[in-house]
Formats: sequence, C-alpha cells, structure tokens
Amino acid sequence: MTGALDGVRVLDLSDQQGAFAGKLLAGLGADVVLVEPPGGSPLRSIPPFWQGVEGPERSLFFWFYSAGKRGITLDWRTAAGAATLRRLAARADVLIESEAPGTLAGLGCGSAALRAANPRLVVASITPFGQTGPYRAWRASDTVAQAMGGMMFVNGHRDGPPLRSLGLQAYHQAGIFAAVGVVSALLARDTTGRGQDVDVSLQAAVAGALEHVPGLWHQMGLVAPRQGTLHWTRYFCVGRCRDGWVMHCTLGDWTSLVEWMKADGMGAGLDDPALEDIKTRQAEADRLFAALDAWAARYTVEELVQGAQLRRIPYAAVRPPEALLRDPHLAERGFFVPIEHPDLGLTVPYPGAPFRLTDAPWRVARPPRLGEHTEQVLAELA
Amino acid sequence: MRPLDGIRVLDFTWVVAGPVTTRILADLGADVIKVERRGSLDFGDRRGGLSGSLMRGKRSILLDLNDPRGLDLARRLAAVSDVVIDNFSARVMTNLGLDYDALVQIRPEVICVRMTGFGLTGPDRDHVSYGPTLQALTGYTLLMAEPDGPPAGFGYSYSDLAGGNLGALAVLAAIWHRRRTGRGQLVDLAQLETVAAVLGPVLLERALQGGASAPAGNASQEAPAAPHGVYPCAGEERWIAITVFTDAEWERFADAAGGPAWTRDTRFATRAGRVRHAAELDRQVAQWTRGQKAEEAMALFQRAGIAAGLVANAEDLCARDPQLAARRHFVEVPTPEGRTVRIDGPPFVLSETPGAVSGPGPLLGEHADEVLSGLLGIGAEEIAALRAARVLG
Repeated sequence: MTGALDGVRVLDLSDQQGAFAGKLLAGLGADVVLVEPPGGSPLRSIPPFWQGVEGPERSLFFWFYSAGKRGITLDWRTAAGAATLRRLAARADVLIESEAPGTLAGLGCGSAALRAANPRLVVASITPFGQTGPYRAWRASDTVAQAMGGMMFVNGHRDGPPLRSLGLQAYHQAGIFAAVGVVSALLARDTTGRGQDVDVSLQAAVAGALEHVPGLWHQMGLVAPRQGTLHWTRYFCVGRCRDGWVMHCTLGDWTSLVEWMKADGMGAGLDDPALEDIKTRQAEADRLFAALDAWAARYTVEELVQGAQLRRIPYAAVRPPEALLRDPHLAERGFFVPIEHPDLGLTVPYPGAPFRLTDAPWRVARPPRLGEHTEQVLAELA
Repeated sequence: MRPLDGIRVLDFTWVVAGPVTTRILADLGADVIKVERRGSLDFGDRRGGLSGSLMRGKRSILLDLNDPRGLDLARRLAAVSDVVIDNFSARVMTNLGLDYDALVQIRPEVICVRMTGFGLTGPDRDHVSYGPTLQALTGYTLLMAEPDGPPAGFGYSYSDLAGGNLGALAVLAAIWHRRRTGRGQLVDLAQLETVAAVLGPVLLERALQGGASAPAGNASQEAPAAPHGVYPCAGEERWIAITVFTDAEWERFADAAGGPAWTRDTRFATRAGRVRHAAELDRQVAQWTRGQKAEEAMALFQRAGIAAGLVANAEDLCARDPQLAARRHFVEVPTPEGRTVRIDGPPFVLSETPGAVSGPGPLLGEHADEVLSGLLGIGAEEIAALRAARVLG
C-alpha cells in the first residue's frame, strides 16, 4: 500500500511557521523536498538539541518538523538559485513558502511567474496575517499569533496573565489549514487543470481553532473570560486526588457518580433530582466541583479514573506529555514509530499518524541531513 | 466551483470535533447532510453564533435510529453518500449496523470516518472522553501554567478543533486516494492521537533526553527569545504579546520604546544575556507597557519590525480587528426567517475556487423532506406517515 498523496511532488521553502504543512503532506505520502539555504534551515538552530549540544544534525525541533522530507540546499535568494528554483517548480505539484508577502515575486519566483511555466502548480503561502489586508506586512511569532487570533485571552487563571498553549499551535493550525487548502486545490485541479494560490494567515488559523470565543460574541455579545481549568461549558474542571491532578467531569452518568460518592459517605446534597438536568449542573458548577474535590482527595488518580470509566463517566488523569511514551493504549496502536538515525547511533520514537487511512498508511521517515538529497533531486531535473 | 462540488457527506457527528470536520467540507462545497437525534446537545441559536458556526451550510434531518424504519432511511442515505462520518464512542455505529463493514456492503467505495476518543483498537478503545479529558491525558492541561503553578489551561476544547481540522485533511486525502484508485476506505481517527500529533518536539525531547516536563509560563517554545510573553497595558484586562528574538530586533525594540535607561543595561545587550535575565527584563518591560494602550504599543512595535500583538478578546477579534475584517473572516449570513447572523468563515483562502459559508446553520430536521424526496425519491405521503410515527422529526 502507498500513501494517499503518493506521487504528489512538493517543494517546501518554509521556515517554522509553515513547516507543519509539509510534515503532514509527507506523512500522507507526498514527496516533500525541503529547500534549505546553504547554511541550513533556521529550524536546525532551534533547541532542544541532542545531548544539549548545538549542531545542524542535532536539533530535535528540526527533526520533528522535517521527518519524512527529503532535503536539498539551494540559495534561492540569488539569481542563479532562483533560476534553479524555477526549474524545480516547473515539475512540482505544490510549493509551500512562508516569506513576507511579495518576497518570492521580487525574485521572479512569485506564484504568477511559476504558474506561467507550470499552470498546474499549487502555491501555499503561510504568513503571520495573510497576503492581503492592512497587517499583511506585520510580523508574528507563534505566541503573537496566538494572542491576535484570540486563543490566548481565554487561557490562564482569572487573576493571572493570559497563557500561550503547549506546543506551537498557531503554526500547527496554519500548517493543518495549508495542507487542507493544498489537497483542496489539487482536487480542484482535477476539474480545472490549473493550480492556484492557498493563502493562510497564522492569525486566522488560530481564530479557526477557537471554540466558544467568536460564537458567543456573535450570539450574545459575551467577552469570554479566563477561568483557569474550569471549561467554558462549566462541565469540566481540574481537581486534586491524593497523588496528583485529575480532570473532573459532570457530564456522563451523573447518577452513578453520585451513588459512588454516597457509598463513600460523601456527596451530601448531590442527590437532588434537579441536578439530573445538565443545565442545573452547569449553573451549580462551583459547588459541584468543590464537592467532587473533597471526595477525590481519598483516591489516587488511577483509582478515580478507573472507577469513573467503569461507570462511563469521562474522567482523565492530568498527565505530562511524556506519559504518552509509555501509554499501553498508544503502544498497542503503534502510535510512536521507531526511526533510525544511523549517524548518531540512535533509534528515535517519532509521533506517528494523527489519523489512520486504513488503505493508505501514514509515512514516517528520518529527517534529511543537510543537503542529503541535493544531487539526487538536481539529477531528477536532468 | 468549489473543490468538493458533487461530494455528499452523511454526517452523524455531534458536539464539536466532528462538526468542525464537516463544516470545512461544507465550506469546500460538499453537500453535508446532518443526521440528528431528538434532545442532542447544542449551544443555543442554531442559525448563527457558536452552533451556527459549527453547522454552517449543512442540511439537517432528524431520524429516530432506534426505530428500524429510521435506521433503514439512514442506510439508504449512506448508499448514496461518498463519506459517512460519526464521532460517537466506537461501539455505537457498530451496534447500529452502520460501521464500515456494514456500509461497504451497500456502498463499496464509501469513505467511512470513525472519529472516536481513543480509536477503534487498543485497550482504552471503549473509554469515554471529551476535549478537556484528552487535553489532560496529553500534557496540555498540566503544562499550560506558570512555572511551579497549578494547571491553568485550556479554557476550551482545543482538542476538538485540532481533531476536527485534521479530520478534514483525512477526508480530503481519502477523496484524493479514491479518485486515483477507485477505492474507499475506513478512516480510524482517535482524537487522543490527533491532539498528541500536534504537541510538537516535546515528545522527542522527553523520549531521548528523559527528565520531566515542567510548566514554563509564556517562555518561547521556538528560538530563545526575550522579552517574550504577555505584558499588561493600560486599562482593565488589556495585554500585549511581544517576541524579541535577535539582537537587531532588541535594538529596534529599545528605539521604539524611546530608549529608556533599562534598555541600555549591559545584561540585556545580547540574546543570551536577555534570556538569562528574562525575569528582570520582563519586569522592566511590564512597567513600561503598563503606561501604554495595547493597540498603540502594538502599532509602535510593528512599525519597527517587532512581532507584537494585542491579546485579543472576543470583541477585539470579532468587532475591532481591521485585518480579520479586511479578509472577511467573519461573515454575515441571511436566514430564511429574514434575520442576519454572524458566522466564522473558512480561515484559508483559495484564489480560484475559494471555500465559502454556504448558508446558516440548519434548524433541527429542516431539510428532511427535500433530502428524502430528492435523494431517495420518497413521496409526500410516506414522509407524512414517517413523521406521524415520529421516525422523522
């Protein structure tokens, strides 16, 4: 079996803002060629580094975003390099870039010029604010994009500052939407015979990964506040067990939960029939979570979560990400894929498929060494 | 034209993650038929706002799947659909006889998307979950916190959005695959895995270097940066996010701020120094930003080429942001009742065949008659009888 995008040729010029798009397309089976400047992609200088020692082949950050891509070095900012880039683009299906708007056009490599030679080319641009609008030349980091896209304001404690997410979620959402846009454009090309531009803004991608914030504003003029781990629906909140944090949940089989508490001599007042209505539980969230917390303190996280899941109540342990590395469920599903890094004598467990196409398996492969495929890719041009 | 013209999606999804997947497909031109149940959860006005943004451009039919006649209608609709998608617990569609093994009998080239919390295999496959519990299991909840602080984030189900948006990619890839091979397939999407897949390099770091992850507040997770984070501005709950990576950026930052004395502190002259003394630098920056309006400081720094941005609240985002307004990110959509509702639009732009909001959210069961007559050729009398029997809403 081959990947879903087997045979699709992608040139990836992007930096960290857009790197996730190419990673997804490579996972789907596309031949993604990462085009790095001669000194290496900026991602190679971003920590963490293997054994803490900086070096172009040692950045775990680069590894994560570049797994499954081939790599060439090409100084496309020079006239000669730009000419080579045009030749590469002439036989590609997709080009992904994250330069400031207008940069590639200034080098004769804008989408219009590239499509003049290859009308089937899809060009995806991932920039802080998109190709149009008053902020199109403005800059962002992942954190600034999270802020301006509305993600940050609602994360954090009531009396504390807004908090950014774990992981570069502005970049990741932009990468996902770019990949969605690219495959959409490829599907459209089946009908039109022509490629097109995919314009992705980090800010809009973040806004497209919000839940309640815009909707409740549109609906009722509500400015959603920060309220710590109390979910905006008020059905979830972090609480404390004997040995750690747990995610409480007042959805699911409430009656069983209350019976369990009563069997422990707790939960006085929670057998009120009014609380069988989830709207009442929503309104009384503060009281309910206080009662649940007083009860949870007698259990370990594992005891509480197992007991809740047996009763089909969606409880979960609040775990560090590394818990995933030894999670028996993910192990049985083979989520992590061991990949050899022979130069370092290492086997690296890469996070694998975000979803499984059962007829077109996800592909995980080693990230490229600097310039590893330059000769190979240039030979393919001949 | 739109990229998914001619594609029909039979959509059993509810709550958030599944509807996020199918709203993108609807934006891209697919005919999305939402099969609904009585008394299922929604978030108020179905036309616009939160529910409307989740259900935009879809058609709705209310079927009693516990009645064999309702189930039969669902099967017949599946037989004329390209994609069948649900986000129930794994056993629900199997118990209904609507899982891939059953669907492939009536629609051999079907793309069947099973969007579950934990996937169709593995010891936890029958565990129940929602977005917040998946975020807890994957590290987001614990690590979105101040250093040494208790868990403080996410305030919402980011996992549903990550899973939903990736779900759309899965469907598009499966459609591409079917066009090339003629084969449909089963898609096993575990939301635990989608949200784990977007964690980033931290999993490699822990796997290779050991150690325990600890919350780091708003410290940079890309190149080292200082100042980096959010800083309070004048007024109530006004904040600015600022990122300064390089020494050149630091010089521009200092100039833009008017060159106060602390910007000339030699400890802050190099990136390494700024990162080492980030706590002190943050105090100085915060003292300066407290006297500034967030919008003005943002413009000041952006003119100097510094990544800086307002920490937008709902009103900033939806009613004040000139960039999202210029890109028509939020759209006004007329309803059949003569109202106008506001809805989130697709967050990416295709230049030749753009996606677009096809319409407002549907009322519950609004399109039952046209779906049953148009797709299955069922006559008005039979529809009336099904409705009288409450098989149809």
